[in-house]
Amino acid sequence: MRLPKFEYFEPKTLEAALNLLTQNGNNAHLLAGGTDVLVKMRNGRLKPEAVIGLQGIEDLNGIHFDSGKGLAIGATAKLAEVASNPDVLKHYPALAFAAGVMANVQVRNMGTIAGNLCNAAPSAENAPPLMAMGAEVALANLQGDRRIALHQFFRGPGLTAMEHGEIMTAILVPFPVPKSGASYKRVSARCGVDIAAVCVSAWVALDGEVCKDVRIVLGAVAPTPMRAVGAESFMREQTWTQELIETAAAQAVQESKPISDVRASADYRKKMVAVLTLRALEQAYERAIKN
Amino acid sequence: MKRFNIVGTDVPRTDAEAKARGTAIYTDDMKLPGMLYGKILRSPLPHALIRNIDISRAASLPGVKCVITGEDTPKIKYGNWRLFPETQDEYPLAVEKVRFIGDEVAAVAAIDNDTAEEALELIKVEYEELPGVFDVDSSILPAAPVIHDYCPSNISVNRKIKYGDIEKGFAEADYVREDTFTMQSVSHAYLEPCSALAQVDLDGRITLWTSTQVPYIIQCLLASTLNMRENDIRVIKPFVGGGFGGKMELRAWEFCAAFIAKKTGRPVKFTLSREEEFLTGRRRHPMKIRSRVGFKKDGTLVAKDLRIQLDGGAYNAMGPTATFLCGNFGAMLYRYPNYRFHGEHIYTNKPPASAMRGFGAPQSLYATEIQMNLAAEELGIDPIDIRLKNAQVSGDKIPDVATISSCGFIESIKAVADMSGWKEKRKNLKPGQGIGIGCYSFISGGVFNWFNTQYPFSAAEVRAFSDGTVHLLTMASDIGQGSDTVLKQILAEELGLNMGDIRITSADTSMTPQADLGSWGSRVTLMAGNAVIDAAKKIKERLFGALSARFNLNVIHEIECKNGRVQAVTRPDYGLTFGEAVALVQKANRGEPLVARGSYTPRGKGLVTPAFGFGAQVAEVEVDRQTGLVEVKQMWTAHDCGTVINPRSVEGQLAGSIQMGLGYALSEQFVMDGGKTLNTSFVDYKMPTAADMPPSQVVHVDTYEPEGPMGAKEAGEGLASPTAPAISDAVYHATGYRCMDLPVTPEKILEGMKKD
Repeated sequence: MRLPKFEYFEPKTLEAALNLLTQNGNNAHLLAGGTDVLVKMRNGRLKPEAVIGLQGIEDLNGIHFDSGKGLAIGATAKLAEVASNPDVLKHYPALAFAAGVMANVQVRNMGTIAGNLCNAAPSAENAPPLMAMGAEVALANLQGDRRIALHQFFRGPGLTAMEHGEIMTAILVPFPVPKSGASYKRVSARCGVDIAAVCVSAWVALDGEVCKDVRIVLGAVAPTPMRAVGAESFMREQTWTQELIETAAAQAVQESKPISDVRASADYRKKMVAVLTLRALEQAYERAIKN
Repeated sequence: MKRFNIVGTDVPRTDAEAKARGTAIYTDDMKLPGMLYGKILRSPLPHALIRNIDISRAASLPGVKCVITGEDTPKIKYGNWRLFPETQDEYPLAVEKVRFIGDEVAAVAAIDNDTAEEALELIKVEYEELPGVFDVDSSILPAAPVIHDYCPSNISVNRKIKYGDIEKGFAEADYVREDTFTMQSVSHAYLEPCSALAQVDLDGRITLWTSTQVPYIIQCLLASTLNMRENDIRVIKPFVGGGFGGKMELRAWEFCAAFIAKKTGRPVKFTLSREEEFLTGRRRHPMKIRSRVGFKKDGTLVAKDLRIQLDGGAYNAMGPTATFLCGNFGAMLYRYPNYRFHGEHIYTNKPPASAMRGFGAPQSLYATEIQMNLAAEELGIDPIDIRLKNAQVSGDKIPDVATISSCGFIESIKAVADMSGWKEKRKNLKPGQGIGIGCYSFISGGVFNWFNTQYPFSAAEVRAFSDGTVHLLTMASDIGQGSDTVLKQILAEELGLNMGDIRITSADTSMTPQADLGSWGSRVTLMAGNAVIDAAKKIKERLFGALSARFNLNVIHEIECKNGRVQAVTRPDYGLTFGEAVALVQKANRGEPLVARGSYTPRGKGLVTPAFGFGAQVAEVEVDRQTGLVEVKQMWTAHDCGTVINPRSVEGQLAGSIQMGLGYALSEQFVMDGGKTLNTSFVDYKMPTAADMPPSQVVHVDTYEPEGPMGAKEAGEGLASPTAPAISDAVYHATGYRCMDLPVTPEKILEGMKKD
């Protein structure tokens, strides 16, 4: 289909981008990698009059790691860059894995983590590991900046907590505390290149054999990526046993709200929440005790 | 094994470099001055009467040059079974009625694609919706909606085969079992979507460049639907990015391109989108197969009673041939002394199913192979042994079909059992691991002439030049399978030349000799190859005569073409270079060029095929017993394709077959909601990718097919059948879940395991 008529801007500074966004009101749309935006424009689901490309803004494309502040992923850092970044691979292997398996090579070479989050698909693959690791997103507008926890960011399919005039500038992930670990597990019909039918991420912090803290995040089984808070609170301060994680996995199934669609039935998705939650917890635990 | 020089070697493919460099020109790459872009308006309803079509707003949109509906066309039906006109049930554009979501209703040509698409939205069609039927069981009920008026039962083809005494056979059986199998529909998913470009020349003749497997059939059917003469249509096949059976009929956009080009005087191109291909494209027949088989206690087959219902979708397409063939495939591979088949092709309000790689064999042989395994288990016989006991061998006669002239099936079974370590692995794998077998037999081209061609099935013209080159002209269509290369190899071999000495022009109906039925049914190597040899032999006779005269050879001398020379076999010094010999013939004929025509039409070869390919395949899998996901760890294949003309090409056919078989077994299916196809992109149509491909080993069993060119027979389609039963059987071995309804999905595996 014919692309709608639009004006394209490529500001060099964040301030210029924010000004453009405010001036153009609801008719403006941001573009980071373009792998979702352009597809939507091509099939007529999105008809912006102004498209503001963020790739020319130098400060936004970095991946910065600091053992005090943790990880900051700029809004235009490519998925492939995140997946192959040595610091991400070393300290955030669950994220490196998620960014490295989603979509395909071409999309990973263009698409961004920020774009994946702002697109707010229930199956967004980077959301579960980032939420599990306690990530926040940095949002800027002309008045200033704010930070919001990622688990409060998603509001529904395609809907987020971002307000008009805001740009997501970075994703911030805390430095992993000692004896903590995170993992990401997914299933899809095709093993090679495929979108996840169900995905689960877990993060645990241990104190000896006690589960001090835990986050379990389920993807593609609800309108948004979701925390299994019941399963989490069941595990907290408990001694780590096989029975504990099996019960938590069963609890996560109760909390999930999957639908049946072309990718899987609701029933299969529920079964996979159990299997993947268990496997995610096991791997997070393995990583935590080595950390 | 017979020794050859060029045949049997990995000569690089003629098209390899152009494709690797991206310089190969496909239809959609072509642009002509003043060219218009066409788009098709399709029915959004599965079954409806067309009450009115208002094209006025679309026609007045700036940039739109032509809008047509069925009413503008000559309203002539078409179909590949010309011999039986009642089976020709499709109009190029719908007349009065639409029968599936995607049925072509109108076409627009405009100055660019976007304008054409906008115009489609401005066409207003008033439909009166009719109740639809979406499965074979509902379609054959007496009260079911009638999809075609000429066919009140909705059963468009009934095919019966019977030989031996079926009742007596079952009476003699010690063990009888009856099973029902169903198979899903899958897509050809060729990587080049359909595209056609038409231009009218000064004589009013239409040239159509089109992505097709069958230029000659397109030429004939386009002529008849346009009310023109055959010679007024020139079809050229450019590079084609795969067909797999999905491009072997005249299609609406080919007609519309030609019709609008004629009407506007401007070239017109139509190219389908991937979504159109998935939403409305041809597909493999879903089938419901009821098979009753009888065995003796020792595993010897005594009878088979096979009943197959094909879900044909809204039109016959190539369904009649699939109905015919799936019954023949049911009687191939093993010896069935008593056999009965009843096949029905049934209309439903879904996109038409048609030919697809294997043409009824993947479905029919899935049932055969799984049932063999079920029987083997009940009778306490190893699956390998029960196959060896019943395997067809050279010289076997399939009643009313053919006598098998060469057969390496037993050798294939033994080789694949050896390679895979079958006996050991079948006993000793860990839980979740499994090994399974699937086998096949396939035709090397069909002998039937439902198209009713007045020409030979295949033809070749060879022009020899005094510079030592030859020019091969053939209508055979290279659609990526490599026939241009293989035919050049055969010609180079026969004339003792190198590949570099051969020039080829293929698949242009105005330039290449009449005719060729196209690339389907695994017919090209055997049939076009034989035509090439026929022409080459005539060239050789002329060269040999000239040489004999030149050297005053005793008539008892054998003469040969070898290493670029024409020479007496025992006295190579009585010889000339190939070019010198050609010059001599030319001189003797006062300058007349040295040209010969050859052809091949199977005669006296029964009712189905002149030759049969065979093979056996073993798959090893590992099943995640919690997710139900299957990883195929290894494939082993041993097969008999006669002489291997180009080993790399044959291995490519095998790799492609495994890729398609893998999808058919595990992940590919059209997800339907009534008549609507829901998964219309590669995100949700789960075709395996390169990363999903298992390691594979192959053995070519050494046989020589007397009817084939230099001993060759089919290699491209038979291999599409064994992968699904082999994987399915391996999953059973790993989990205890036996799949009777393809595909083998994780959900079914988990459910099936639970029952144990």
